[in-house]
Amino acid sequence: MMSSLNGAPLDTHAPGHEDTSITKNGFKITTRKLPILKAGPIEEMTTKLGIAPPEMIFGDNFVRIEHAASGWRIEFNAFDALDRVDKTGDSMLKVSYSKEWQQNRQKQFEDIKEVVKPFDWSYSTDYKGSTAESPAFQSTDTPIPLALLKRPDPIQFFDDVMLYEDELADNGIAMLSCKIRVMPARLLLLTRFFMRLDDVLFRIRDTRVFVEFATGEVIREYTAREEKYEVVRKVLAGTKEDVLALMRDPNRLAEYIPVVGKTLEKVVLK
Amino acid sequence: MSIGGSDLDRAITQLRACRPIPENQVRELCYKARELLIEEGNVVGVDAPVTICGDIHGQFHDLMELFRVGGDVPDTNYLFMGDFVDRGFYSLESFLLLLCLKVRYPDRITLIRGNHESRQITTVYGFYDECLRKYGSANVWRYCCEVFDYLALGALVTGAATSLTPTDGPIAENINIDIPDVDCDIEIETLNAQGEIMYRYARNSDSQSSAASQANSNPASSSPIAPPTPSLAGVTGTGATSSANGSTRNDTGAILCVHGGLSPLIDTIDKIRLLDRKQEVPHEGAMCDLLWSDPDEIDGWGLSPRGAGFLFGADIVKCFNHKNDLSLIARAHQLVMEGFKEMFESTIVTVWSAPNYCYRCGNVAAILELGEDGSNGGFVRRSNGDRGGGGGGWVLGSNAGPNGTGENRRLSSVLGDSMQRTRDGPGRRYRVFEAAPQDSRGMPAKKPVADYFL
Repeated sequence: MMSSLNGAPLDTHAPGHEDTSITKNGFKITTRKLPILKAGPIEEMTTKLGIAPPEMIFGDNFVRIEHAASGWRIEFNAFDALDRVDKTGDSMLKVSYSKEWQQNRQKQFEDIKEVVKPFDWSYSTDYKGSTAESPAFQSTDTPIPLALLKRPDPIQFFDDVMLYEDELADNGIAMLSCKIRVMPARLLLLTRFFMRLDDVLFRIRDTRVFVEFATGEVIREYTAREEKYEVVRKVLAGTKEDVLALMRDPNRLAEYIPVVGKTLEKVVLK
Repeated sequence: MSIGGSDLDRAITQLRACRPIPENQVRELCYKARELLIEEGNVVGVDAPVTICGDIHGQFHDLMELFRVGGDVPDTNYLFMGDFVDRGFYSLESFLLLLCLKVRYPDRITLIRGNHESRQITTVYGFYDECLRKYGSANVWRYCCEVFDYLALGALVTGAATSLTPTDGPIAENINIDIPDVDCDIEIETLNAQGEIMYRYARNSDSQSSAASQANSNPASSSPIAPPTPSLAGVTGTGATSSANGSTRNDTGAILCVHGGLSPLIDTIDKIRLLDRKQEVPHEGAMCDLLWSDPDEIDGWGLSPRGAGFLFGADIVKCFNHKNDLSLIARAHQLVMEGFKEMFESTIVTVWSAPNYCYRCGNVAAILELGEDGSNGGFVRRSNGDRGGGGGGWVLGSNAGPNGTGENRRLSSVLGDSMQRTRDGPGRRYRVFEAAPQDSRGMPAKKPVADYFL
């Protein structure tokens, strides 16, 4: 066992599992769940990405669907998702009390102006998965067949894999996680980016991947939702439910946040 | 009813079993705690030996594990650097237990404020909801928040030994680097939860090392439970250990403990003492910075990209430490996978004490033990003339420091020439521990429950 620079052990016993997988009709589904990265790998990732990774970075985790016969694959991992985060600071958000804070600061500390390493610290990503170049997805009008997915077919494989999470320095939450369920004839994968910047903004960006094993049909749907915090809060206040609890639950929130972008793609694997 | 004496011991017993105490007892406890805390300065003076702990975040069972690994109160002198509540499922039991221990053993446990000890943050991150769920009203949350307003902002540890008395514990398995001889001047030692040596570093040596696996023939290592305190006995400064320790090396400066970090408004510890702390954590100002700021690999001060909050670099820390005659700043606030992280040539350390944070990060936790410098008998406090040119003396417990700002200005200009540490850091023993066993904390199974998500 190696020892890190400050003497702490590099490996720890932690929750999670090494790869688990299932193969259905030539589609191999693999998930990996390990603890957050340690100091060394975090530094390595910081260098490669050019931005500081989120506080909780599950850099070893992934969910992958492979189709050996066609060479097609799609994988969801934290590094590739973070590589799509704006690294320039052009689309940078500000915490709710930023203006008040800045005004007080400027009077006292005119010399402290430099914003350290500006980037989109909300870790907002439009990541739709890492795919092989060919066969490639094509734009389509064919929606994911929800009716088939609402049937209570037995779930033969299920996993819920966290890719990253950040508490935005106690100003809310940003998280990217990936769920997958495999039924006898089809599978559904949902990778969700959820971001709540308190008193500022909500974002939900969902990537769904649907595979019908018998036909080799793969549909990928990307839906971006976004709304101002105050607008959502007002709507929720009218529901007579626990507003704070609702604001933590993207499953419930989605219906209150309008869609601002959507793409639908398809590929048929032989 | 009043909470005191045997009532207090009963409450402690009940809380140790992770059972909340009745609302009227909480009210009484919080009242007593406030009476006690109001007497404390913004910066509490603490004598070594002391065990410094970082964020707990309501992970009650892991707090019990911390006490198992670090020793129980009052046998061990503890300093908790805030963030007792939120995130975890047992903020209430964790905070109330710490508060009970504070009231019962005020000189053996120090609690300072974290950014989560605030009304605004606890309404968003769990503590408020938990109180509402467990008591059916927000009263208990309100009592606790009133206590938060009285918590000290920092602590100053004096009388810490420069060298550790090496632990005579067995050497951990799977360590394949030689450890320095026990005769060396030991600066850092890392032990696992069983008290086994994982790492040892001798001062002024270039090689860092870990214990050798072949040396692990000690039958004691088969014992799964380390005796909590006996292994610390060597550090706690009997006459014998202090001479074996090399009592000439007693020139470490004080250690400032604060939840977040430094503030551009604060260049001396006395300025912290002058703040009016008895209020909700403000959104800006020195008090806010102390609870929120982070060290970063930058030069000087920087603004967080989030639009609020400061970041500070190595030069700031070194200058502050020099000016205030500190050898180390201990802070918490940021998750570190290894449980602790020393930065800027060991002038600042982050200590994190919530293992497997949020029950899913898989990180280990750490506590930092500082031994007692035997030569001061654990009683005589440092004086101004202690070391030429230090200039940072102060009277503990007083809000008015004796050193004039003129001297400080002179020192900082001297420091500008060479940003060197003038103080050796204290000997640092890190005890690293993992989350309490899953079955002991009644947590839901880790395996995700399959659901028909769409």
